[in-house]
Amino acid sequence: MSVVPMTTTPIEIEPPVSLWRDAWHRLRRNKLAVFGLIIVIVLAFTALFGPYLTPYDFLSQDLNGRNLAPSLSHLFGTDDLGRDVFSRVVYGTRTAFLVAIVVTFIAVLIGVTLGALAGFFGGFLDKAVMWLTDMTMSIPNLLLVVVINASLKSPISSWMEARYLATLNPFYRETIWVDFLLVFGSMALISWPPYARLVRAQVLSIRSRPYITAAQALGLTNRIILMRYVVPNALGPLIVAVSAGLGTAMVLESAFSFLGVGVNPPTPSWGNMISDGLRVWQHYPHLLAAPAAVLGLASVAFSFLGDGLNDALNPRGAK
Amino acid sequence: MLRYITTRFVVWIPSVLLVMLGVYALAYYGAGDPIKLIFLRAPGDVAYNPERIEAIRESAGLNRPFLVQFCSYIWNLLHGNFGNSLSSGRSVWAMISAAAPVSFKLALCSVILTAVVAIPLGLIAALNQNTRTDYAILGSALFLWAIPAYVAGPMLMVLLIMVLPGSAVPYGWGGVFDVRILLPLLVLSFQPIALIVRQTRAAVIEVLSEDFVRTARAKGVPETMVALRHILRPVLTPVVTQLGLIMITIVNGAIFVELVFGLPGLGRLTVQALTNTDYPVILAITLIGSFLVMISNLLVDVLYPLLDPRANDTRRSR
Amino acid sequence: MMMANDIRPVPSAASERLLDVKGLTIEIETRNGPATIVDGIDLHVGKGETLGIVGESGCGKSLTMLSMMRLLPNKIRVTKGEANFAGRDLQKMSNSELRKVRGGDVGFIFQDPMTSLNPVMRIGQQLAEPLIYHRGMSKAEARKRAGELLKLVGIPGAEDRLDAYPHELSGGMRQRVMIAIGLACNPQLLIADEPTTALDVTIQAQIVDLVKDLRDKLGMSVVWITHDLALIAGLVDRINVLYAGTVVEDAPVDALFSNPSHPYTQGLLASIPKLSDERSARLSSIGGTPPEPGRRPKGCPFAPRCPLAEAVCHERVPSLEGIGQNGAHRVACFVAQRKLEAA
Repeated sequence: MSVVPMTTTPIEIEPPVSLWRDAWHRLRRNKLAVFGLIIVIVLAFTALFGPYLTPYDFLSQDLNGRNLAPSLSHLFGTDDLGRDVFSRVVYGTRTAFLVAIVVTFIAVLIGVTLGALAGFFGGFLDKAVMWLTDMTMSIPNLLLVVVINASLKSPISSWMEARYLATLNPFYRETIWVDFLLVFGSMALISWPPYARLVRAQVLSIRSRPYITAAQALGLTNRIILMRYVVPNALGPLIVAVSAGLGTAMVLESAFSFLGVGVNPPTPSWGNMISDGLRVWQHYPHLLAAPAAVLGLASVAFSFLGDGLNDALNPRGAK
Repeated sequence: MLRYITTRFVVWIPSVLLVMLGVYALAYYGAGDPIKLIFLRAPGDVAYNPERIEAIRESAGLNRPFLVQFCSYIWNLLHGNFGNSLSSGRSVWAMISAAAPVSFKLALCSVILTAVVAIPLGLIAALNQNTRTDYAILGSALFLWAIPAYVAGPMLMVLLIMVLPGSAVPYGWGGVFDVRILLPLLVLSFQPIALIVRQTRAAVIEVLSEDFVRTARAKGVPETMVALRHILRPVLTPVVTQLGLIMITIVNGAIFVELVFGLPGLGRLTVQALTNTDYPVILAITLIGSFLVMISNLLVDVLYPLLDPRANDTRRSR
Repeated sequence: MMMANDIRPVPSAASERLLDVKGLTIEIETRNGPATIVDGIDLHVGKGETLGIVGESGCGKSLTMLSMMRLLPNKIRVTKGEANFAGRDLQKMSNSELRKVRGGDVGFIFQDPMTSLNPVMRIGQQLAEPLIYHRGMSKAEARKRAGELLKLVGIPGAEDRLDAYPHELSGGMRQRVMIAIGLACNPQLLIADEPTTALDVTIQAQIVDLVKDLRDKLGMSVVWITHDLALIAGLVDRINVLYAGTVVEDAPVDALFSNPSHPYTQGLLASIPKLSDERSARLSSIGGTPPEPGRRPKGCPFAPRCPLAEAVCHERVPSLEGIGQNGAHRVACFVAQRKLEAA
């Protein structure tokens, strides 16, 4: 075969950004996804700036105005200690985002690393990772995590207490970090397997695609193939999974609080507000309804967005 | 087939052992002294009688090294002895066998309800893709998916009491054929239904673009028969594979639903055991939950070749 | 190559039209609004006639035949024109009326038999469906007839194969099953949509011969859609060459091969390799690509790629005019038409 000299004639090729621009177009046309996106943006804004904008401090108690029904001065009413529920819900947004982002970040980090390693190297490593994944997924995970959380919480707290009494270092007084650490850690522990599976499957399928063979035949280095072919193709499904995962993490946090192993009061989280509200919902339904509605809204928004992203980033399935 | 099932079982054992080891370790190192846990809760001042505590500890074998205790626990398990509850002193096996039927019946009803409701809805949504019907079904599914059971439960109760003023609060358990099962069953099935509606919809949309559906239409097969015979059949395969996932959702959901509606099942037992740090019970429930999920996954694998004739050959050649 | 036609009297051009498509316009919904893919196509098939429809992929060959029968996704629609089958306009039929035509009076064979057969259904059931829905047969009757049909299309051990699943058959066997399904109700018209594209070359010829035999035996009309001119030369009576959704040349098969008149047809014929070519000779190809839907040029759609294009070609769309064979050979090209006038 004779070597055909490369022509320098410019050929009309759509710029590579068009995948993302296309996806953005499709996303914008999906009403549910746009709704989800707007809610997520509003919530993120609330999480960032909300606590500075609320009229009351989330901790300030007003014992003369307890369990007030929603009114203009207290949009969502007040709770059993006379704290403004709206301010607490707003601050809870920050907690929810903190938990969701950190947990998802850790889970994605673990999942992507393990999944990519398994997909690339195969063999024993792959088997081991898949075994671990299957095992984590085949156990009623909520139960496991709650057990972990419940058993580690009291020893760590008492250790902190002892350290504080011994050193009087105020750092040991801040049990809030223990809460967060436990919640983050245990939630990430059960959240990573889907990411690992997804990334492994993507890597495996992309590796065997003809265009990778074609790229190898062109003599491209592994690094370029990885950056230009594998990553962009695996990124779409991962973004979808992360979007859905953020919502799931928020719900999971509230489940933890409901079972009494989540973020402890007085730090407001939607979960512990719901759990408090459940005790008195027959008398003061707003104490349950406000945080529950916001949690539901956030969770719905993330799943709408995730679903829209899925359709937008997989044009084949969208059709 | 029998060999296949045995293999799956053998593979399952080490993973469940590892999990139980983990939980056992948490109990051993994390929760603090079980004897003290018991007596600090009990009335009276026995907790501060160190000699008595030591005596109990020795008689319960709790002074032995960790691994010895764990192995002895497993050994007892193999002989059907789940130990005794730390908080009530009752046999764990008795507690579980009292609670399990409630949860199993509820779970089974939930699986059936899910299949009956979710598969047709997913099919309808996909056949009307991007119409109002589709958006309504998909939107509701995403909505149901996002509402936690412990929020949906109380809210529905309020609603029910408001709509039917004379009706009693649907609290407690009266068996599968009792009206009181309706609300918990519904709440428990929300998430599985949402999951299967979306799965079915996605699978149907994929099948719709298959050439063989066009062939069926080209043959002049009526639309309803195209949907039932040509679209639904291949869709069932990926949907049935979700059974394991549904089981996990149900087992997780049962914890909340049973608590909210006061059902005396495994879920409520779990929460009680957690608040009492009652490890023998927690361990037993972990084992049962894991077993349930394993069995569901196994069932899927056994059913798969029946649903997809192509899988039969690869399975046999394996 | 063309001797095969001698076996059977060639239906005359004047014979009664079984399928008569007039000014059919097909649009696809895109993000930027509807785009025309097929613009007012005219074509017809006589009773007992075999028509070949030839063109590059994406020129609207399959699209025309499938959307006419409402077999394509909803976003592809017929917006104008009519398609008369046995005197009735398919476009005016209700869905249930059209359903009776599909599989009953009109049979189909599709491109890829692997994907066109339902993988989770036995061959016998798939074959029985048209018989049950059109002929009202019982399951047992349909099964018996299905066995006969499999025998008819030359599947060895036909009755035993009824309980097989598609993946248990070879590609050629699967396509024979497709043909059996298409012929199940003795249709008046068989539409074959590139039925050999997914098959091995040796199997391709077998399938063409099988359809030819069955056509002669059953006396139906056939529309064979393909991009492979050489393959169908021995099968068809007449060929329509399609370009960008319009018929650019319509000619009896002999005339098309001996006197290709449209520059596009000439290009297509030149791109078929011949044994007589020297080994070093390059295959000729037509430069450029067909226009995208929605971006059709103002004049003749082929003008931008045409080596003979003149000023008028970019201005006006040529219509299909008879240039020979008593009007049976027609071409839509100003240059070819003028050449004829000059002669």
